[in-house]
Amino acid sequence: MRYRRTLMVVVILLLASALADAQGVRLKIATLAPDGSFWMEEARRAADEIGRRTDGRVGFRFYPGGTMGSDDTVLRKMRIGQLHGGVLLAGSLGDLDPDFEIYNFPLVFRSYDEVDHVRRELDQRLISKLDDDGIVAFGLVETGFVYLMSTQPTRTFADLDGRKAWIPEGDAISKAIADAAGLSPVPLALSDVLTGLQTGLIDTVAAPPVGAVALQWFTKAKYVTDLPLTYIYGTLLLSDRAFRKLGAEDQEVVREALEKMSSELNRRARTDNRDAREALVKQGVTFVEPTPETEERWEAVAAEARQALVKRQEYDRELIAEMERLLEEYRGRDHAPIPDS
Amino acid sequence: MKGPLNRMFSSTARQAATLTAIAMLTGGCSSVVSSTTGRLADSLADALVNQNDPETVRQGAPAYLVLLDGLIADDPDNPDVLLAGAQLYSSYAGAFVEDPERAKRLALKGRDYGWEGLCAVKRKTCGTWTEPYEVFESTIDSLGAKEVSALFTTAGAWATWIQVNKDDWSAIADKARVDAMIRRVVEIDPSYQRGAPFVYLGVLDTLLPEAMGGKPEQGRTHFERAIELSSGRNLMAKVLLAKQYARLTFDRELHDRLCEEVVEADPTEQGLTLANTLAQEEAARLLEESEDYFGE
Repeated sequence: MRYRRTLMVVVILLLASALADAQGVRLKIATLAPDGSFWMEEARRAADEIGRRTDGRVGFRFYPGGTMGSDDTVLRKMRIGQLHGGVLLAGSLGDLDPDFEIYNFPLVFRSYDEVDHVRRELDQRLISKLDDDGIVAFGLVETGFVYLMSTQPTRTFADLDGRKAWIPEGDAISKAIADAAGLSPVPLALSDVLTGLQTGLIDTVAAPPVGAVALQWFTKAKYVTDLPLTYIYGTLLLSDRAFRKLGAEDQEVVREALEKMSSELNRRARTDNRDAREALVKQGVTFVEPTPETEERWEAVAAEARQALVKRQEYDRELIAEMERLLEEYRGRDHAPIPDS
Repeated sequence: MKGPLNRMFSSTARQAATLTAIAMLTGGCSSVVSSTTGRLADSLADALVNQNDPETVRQGAPAYLVLLDGLIADDPDNPDVLLAGAQLYSSYAGAFVEDPERAKRLALKGRDYGWEGLCAVKRKTCGTWTEPYEVFESTIDSLGAKEVSALFTTAGAWATWIQVNKDDWSAIADKARVDAMIRRVVEIDPSYQRGAPFVYLGVLDTLLPEAMGGKPEQGRTHFERAIELSSGRNLMAKVLLAKQYARLTFDRELHDRLCEEVVEADPTEQGLTLANTLAQEEAARLLEESEDYFGE
């Protein structure tokens, strides 16, 4: 009797999975990207390609514009199977695996050439860190370097005295930088920053050029200190559970198309930031060179902030050491600068 | 900092595709028109915004545009013809031209006519377009009731140019200037053109989700203000409330209700007929897509 019931269950399961195969799988993906954006265009292009190459076995349902909630909510919904994937920032994955956010550390990189050198070697290791957390990531996507912007020029460290600096609510890395630099940070939601600048509640912010243009912060904070403070990036991911439900061949198709999409978005972010920087200059924004002593001070502040972060969380020290080794290797090399492409 | 800053900011202007252009299709030039050519230009704009057959405008507008070029060449400092040129060129480029290169060319002409028109109305604005932002802003903030119509028309033409150049970061940066102009219009006259400027402000606040720096709730208030000031007759305000706000906040009930209201409404309304007719087409399309967007 018991045996027969088990058999029934097995038969039903087999039938169900056959049915699922016949109807195809629909992967539900959340993103903050609004409908009509370049991100969504790329996502739909990838989805079309996957649908075509799997004869419709794998389809996508996108939830754009942050309608599924914050990154944390998206992760929770993925855990209970309500969503299958999302586009998340590295910082949001820090709770799952702190190692994933090590490129976020303050003042790690001095140029995009350095970023490319390190990422070529380490991206795959960062991505595979997420395997243990039940997540399959399809390449990293750059957001870009973040710069200090203020209503007054910031050339030396003393210039920062008394500045009212915005930090994103609940952001440990910004807080670590602000603490180490001795700034009094004002936590605000992203949507309140422009008003904060206009009313004088804050006078100093940090943003990548694309953010400074799109959110119009440059209209008040018109002095950018030309020193990359942090490097931010995100990733497109699926829950391992959802991914494994696909047949082996379909998995390959999905991986290939989504990795291609990530690399396209990554490339686009680079050119967007370059163009946004030019646009800022055209709008009358000044890029201020920090003095060499100030740069050294910043390096010291960054080292202190990094130490505070490493103390707070368990990081893979070997991985961090490897990142530092790669940077030293690059800086020690006599290389011609790689032109922007 | 890890704020989700640039996921796709290149899209901010793009999302307004046809939106700002349509928003500015409302109302003709309401400035006091002095000359004969000015009156003719104004009548052309009026005939266009009161047309209830978009296809006629699509096919007929190019002849109007050529005629306007002629009027402007004859009388290059006449603000009325310049501003009519700004409005017609940009409306046509933003709402009817599909070829992106043509749209850019025509919208650029509209923007430049707008600049020249506002400059002819108020000399101190001349050339401030490319001055540093704060210089531009303080000039705009010094304008008053006499300039409000020129200000709104020029802002709309400039917004259309940004919209068709949505991949150009310099154009996206100019959005701050258009915003300053629209805000000034609303300060000078809160009920200007029965709330049309609020449609623009609504779009602006709903381009991005809150987590990326947008202000959807404030946007909704702006759209509702435009609906109220037009006694519910600005159908584009309703469609954009659905398309921009209801979709962003995943409110299907509101989305479908607004679109159905628009589809069933009578589009004929002085100064709004063409925009309302286009709004109805858009509402029908949004309803068709609704299940796809909101469904499981």
